[in-house]
Amino acid sequence: MNVMSITCHDRDRIFENGTPAEWAALASHASSCQECAEELRAWKSISTAAQEMREYAEAPALWPRIERALAAQAQANPRRLNRWNWSWNFLPIAWQAAAAGAFVLVLAVSGGLLYRYEIRTPPTADAHFLKNRALANVERTESAYIEAIDKLAAEAKPQLDAPATALLANYKEKLLLLDSAIDDLRTQAGLNPSNAHLRYQLLAMYQEKQHTLEEILEDQR
Amino acid sequence: MEQVMGTMGLALPWQSKLSAVQRERGTRVEPSQHLAGNATQAAANPGTEDAALAAACLSGDLSAYERLYSLHGARMKNLARNLLGTSADAEDAVQDTFLKIQRSIAGFRGQSSFVTWTFRILINTCYDARRSRLRKKEHTIEPSETDDSPRPEPRAPGSHPSLRMALERAVAALTKQQRDVFLLYEVEGFHHAEIAAMLEITETACKNTLFQAKRHLRQSLEPPRSSAAGPR
Repeated sequence: MNVMSITCHDRDRIFENGTPAEWAALASHASSCQECAEELRAWKSISTAAQEMREYAEAPALWPRIERALAAQAQANPRRLNRWNWSWNFLPIAWQAAAAGAFVLVLAVSGGLLYRYEIRTPPTADAHFLKNRALANVERTESAYIEAIDKLAAEAKPQLDAPATALLANYKEKLLLLDSAIDDLRTQAGLNPSNAHLRYQLLAMYQEKQHTLEEILEDQR
Repeated sequence: MEQVMGTMGLALPWQSKLSAVQRERGTRVEPSQHLAGNATQAAANPGTEDAALAAACLSGDLSAYERLYSLHGARMKNLARNLLGTSADAEDAVQDTFLKIQRSIAGFRGQSSFVTWTFRILINTCYDARRSRLRKKEHTIEPSETDDSPRPEPRAPGSHPSLRMALERAVAALTKQQRDVFLLYEVEGFHHAEIAAMLEITETACKNTLFQAKRHLRQSLEPPRSSAAGPR
């Protein structure tokens, strides 16, 4: 078996990133080098001393306390801990984008079919008036809702501009995806303002955006 | 002449206290050896256990969180205790971490292991707590007394209490990343790959940071050598 040749100059490199064979060779070298023997002993002693900072004492009251807090949080926010949200987020970002794209495509096709159906059956004057008033109400409410979400987005912006954690980076990705889907849906809704399905889907996207922003701000607190 | 380690007024006979335990590289005492059987059982198939645990937490099952706590709670509390200085703060940080996991589990994509993700949240929570404590101090104490480093409370008597105190002080003086890497590797027994994932650095950077940390600790804990023998 070959014995690796080690000198004192290799010592720090081995301390930093040595292979087991290099460590063995250093130990062998240290048996005839007092300087390296002392350095090796001191280096290992730090690791040994670190065990003094390990104290896995029992804390019998801690888990019951955490359990109560978890139960309270689950009860307070059942909506935010729902399955739909989990399944959406567990998909990789590429799948989420594909799902959102497919979703928008289905909406566009169904919206187009509904539009064609509607222009084939001309409405009466009363129906037109009621529809326009209802539409105006929806658009007014929607504008107020969007403004509120924009305020949330402005609050979360500093964190999202420079995400400090992977979690924040994920939130940022999710928001970008949601914004993209919202833009598509708004375009579709603009072409077909009376399509209730598009409005519902748009609302769902806004709600998801709202929940995501709330989570970011809650984490910040 | 006996080599003496002195730190902040402490004179610690380094050799006599520690030479009895000679640890080779790769024979680091792993935390699972200290914990109850749970962690050892889980270690039999860590990937499956990790994924199952994540899925169970995802389903909102509180017993899954209890399992996470029984596997890693002690290690989480010990790390938080070393970062924050007191058991009370450490317990608050562990509780906050569990609440954040429950709130954020939807954002977990499995890019790292669930346990790695959990410890990443814990570390962030500890530093948030430290910042918050610092802000409170700034409002209540003279500016000259403000200090980001934790003030360790007395622990249960160990085998070398004076050595532990000296080490805690020396660790508190490390940079944030050096402290994190040292505590995670040398105290909690994580591997470089796991620590790299937790701190979002490369494994090479992790190894280098550990090297720098240990070099600083050695300088802090051991007095200057009297002999001037250079490398051969």
